[in-house]
Amino acid sequence: MAAANTISRAWNQFFFTGFSGESLGLLRMYIGCGLLFFHTYQFATVLSLNPIGAMHFFIAPIWYFKLLGIQYHVPALSFGMYAILMGATVSMILGKNTRTSILVIILCVFYLKGVRDSFAGDVHHREIIPMQILFLFLLSKCGEVHSRDARQRHIPAGVQEWEASWPIKTMQLYVALFYFWSVIAKVRTSGWVWFAGEGKIQEVLILRSVRWGVTDQGEFLKNGLSFELAQHPELIQIFSILVLAFELGFPLLLLIKSVKWRLAFILGVTTFHIASFVLMDVNFLLIPFVYLIFFDLVPIHQWLKTRAWPLFRRRLSMAG
Amino acid sequence: MNKRTITLILVAYLTVIWVAVIFRIDYFPLTWVPMYSGYKPSETISVKVFDKDKEQKGFKVTYQDGSTGYVSSKDLNIPKPHFRRLYNDLLPDSKLFETAPPKHQQGNIELGMINRWIRGLNKEESRSVVDREWGMFWTLNKTLGHEPSDPKFIIRIEADQQHRVYRKDDLLRQDVGNVQIDTRRALIEWREEWLPGWGHGSR
Repeated sequence: MAAANTISRAWNQFFFTGFSGESLGLLRMYIGCGLLFFHTYQFATVLSLNPIGAMHFFIAPIWYFKLLGIQYHVPALSFGMYAILMGATVSMILGKNTRTSILVIILCVFYLKGVRDSFAGDVHHREIIPMQILFLFLLSKCGEVHSRDARQRHIPAGVQEWEASWPIKTMQLYVALFYFWSVIAKVRTSGWVWFAGEGKIQEVLILRSVRWGVTDQGEFLKNGLSFELAQHPELIQIFSILVLAFELGFPLLLLIKSVKWRLAFILGVTTFHIASFVLMDVNFLLIPFVYLIFFDLVPIHQWLKTRAWPLFRRRLSMAG
Repeated sequence: MNKRTITLILVAYLTVIWVAVIFRIDYFPLTWVPMYSGYKPSETISVKVFDKDKEQKGFKVTYQDGSTGYVSSKDLNIPKPHFRRLYNDLLPDSKLFETAPPKHQQGNIELGMINRWIRGLNKEESRSVVDREWGMFWTLNKTLGHEPSDPKFIIRIEADQQHRVYRKDDLLRQDVGNVQIDTRRALIEWREEWLPGWGHGSR
């Protein structure tokens, strides 16, 4: 009984406290802004196709395309879907018909990701975290604060703390688990050798440098720095241990109360993603925008509104 | 929704995402394996030699009427990176060809007793086997609008690709001069036994 009470208390403490309705509303707005760039970057290749060109028959349709019997790509439809996706994202940011907008975004992402992954049967994982976040926004009351819906419908009572906290805390938990699972997956599929100084990281560094070719003088056409780094397994070993530590330790971030420590951790993870993009071409470059979920955006928004924005406007008018 | 309902939703949500991890389910939006988890130590490193002309031409194909031609990414109206993947998947020694598309391949590694048992797989059996040959004829012909009765139905697809193969030890001594050029070729032909499945998109 005592154990059950402790678990219940810890559960309530974690999921139902910590954030205000205003935080949730602002998070919806800022994540929405990030999604505008993220989705454009993700689906740019589909938008590079000829809208009235051939309808490509998929070699390996994604599971839900198989289920629905979608066998080919209608290029013009993807352009339409992208336009709808952007429109729905703007609508989500403004909080206009918020729940419907989020649902439309989810459907568009399912379609566009399905198209992209069905061309050659590849599976991309970059959409997974944003999709989980969107799903949790969909279930939440994020449209009742900082939104046109709230103004137009005159929603009286504000969102309570527990109502605002559980979606944000679940998003945080999911992101932390995503990194934690990454270690489990590495050990399950490759064993601890993945983390060796002469393991996966070294292999990818070499591959990414030699694949662009070498001049007659032995100079690399691109990514020479990656090749240089690959020559130092002891240094790679340190990086591997850091990767292991931050992925395994990511759930601990949920227990850190200090904003400074949180920020330091998040900056570390962001640096890791930038470095792995530059050196190894691992394209999780834009994913750090989701780390906004680890912060209460109320003071940040206040600072942007009262300090940064007027300063920016003043500079702009001086320049003009 | 009250707190109790939300608690039930959260329990269900957490159960689903953990079940996906335990039972190796990699169906969007669930995953057990974020990218770059698979690694098998190897003594050599092999990279493709980029040939712009070859990439622009694409697959060399032979039609039913005996004429030949090329099918490019523009003809198929797919992005170049995806076209490259289709092209390379066809070549022998492609890691992808034997088992499954790139990231699916991870699903076949070290499946473990429980995951084999629930899928009814024996020790040697691969979890997902993709029939790339049939798929290539399907994709190319269907996209270009050719049916098996047409003279322009593609009956042979050819691809070749040069690879630079380095020994890892040489590279770690900064010796990039010791390289072996390896040409990989693929030639696949249409089989009449595939005809009955053509209408419904499977073998």
